[in-house]
Amino acid sequence: MAEELVPALEESVFDLHPPMHQFEVRSIVPIEIGGVDVSFTNSALLMCIAVGLAGLFFWFATAHRSVVPGRLQSVAELMYEFIANMIRDNVGTAGMKYFPYIFTLFVFVFVGNMLGMLPYSFTFTSHIAVTAALAVVIFITVTIIGFARHGTHYFGMFFPHGAPLLTAPLLIPIELISYLSRPFSLSVRLFANMTVGHIMLKVLAGFVILMGVAGVVPFAVVLGITVLEFFIAALQAYVFTILTCIYLNDAINMH
Amino acid sequence: MRISVELVVTVAVGTALGYGIDSWLGTMPIFLIVFLLFGGAAGVMNAYRVVKGLDESVGLGGAVARKENAEGKKDRG
Repeated sequence: MAEELVPALEESVFDLHPPMHQFEVRSIVPIEIGGVDVSFTNSALLMCIAVGLAGLFFWFATAHRSVVPGRLQSVAELMYEFIANMIRDNVGTAGMKYFPYIFTLFVFVFVGNMLGMLPYSFTFTSHIAVTAALAVVIFITVTIIGFARHGTHYFGMFFPHGAPLLTAPLLIPIELISYLSRPFSLSVRLFANMTVGHIMLKVLAGFVILMGVAGVVPFAVVLGITVLEFFIAALQAYVFTILTCIYLNDAINMH
Repeated sequence: MRISVELVVTVAVGTALGYGIDSWLGTMPIFLIVFLLFGGAAGVMNAYRVVKGLDESVGLGGAVARKENAEGKKDRG
């Protein structure tokens, strides 16, 4: 391929379909309350679809409850067992009180990630505003639970038992910063994984057109990465949920 | 990926915390500098946890003990 041709073509393909275009938040119904833009966006629409889809699924799945579960019912039961076991293993039976919250989180993130895999769709979990909102709510909830259960003893968590007292001024700020960085690390992990995957797919798909006949190679790669992306979409929902469980475990059974 | 996130995020949080304390007490830039370093230390600690495959609950010492405990059980079992 002629070398001068590549930049020109490259520009045209990526100008036509910019890889970042898929993350653009567009307002569908412009609403403004008190000078604050609260428009109904495509992100909000996808979130509503995710909630509706999950709601409908569980409504249908539990509509005809039977001892021998049907197809839908067994999927719902599998998901229930999955999250229930996750909480029992990581938090213990005391954590089952918070099952509805964790289950909702898992389903919301999972359906959001999966909806993002549909062509022409929008991945709301690829926006740090969304994941940060989820993570901050988790962080505040967990901190409140911790203080409600242990009172001021909850601060004791930042200083490990048996460490020399002299190291306290060094250890406590470090553990405190590590604790405060949790919501950020939680949100950045989900957001970065979703964003990176989708950009990579778009860029590689651009190469398919660029390379002409040789485009079969990137096409095969895109095919493989699409499968990988489905895996990552599920895995990140799992990681998000299990980290919530671990944080909850800290708050409930202080070590 | 995980490690880079931890390193960046903890330094950012440490700096923000230091800046907050400084603007509250009016002691710019003492706490900013101190907490920037603490943030870096926390980042390295978290990176160490990721590399060592320790759990993510609060307290590095506890995490190390739990991992050794779990491995000890595995060896016996």
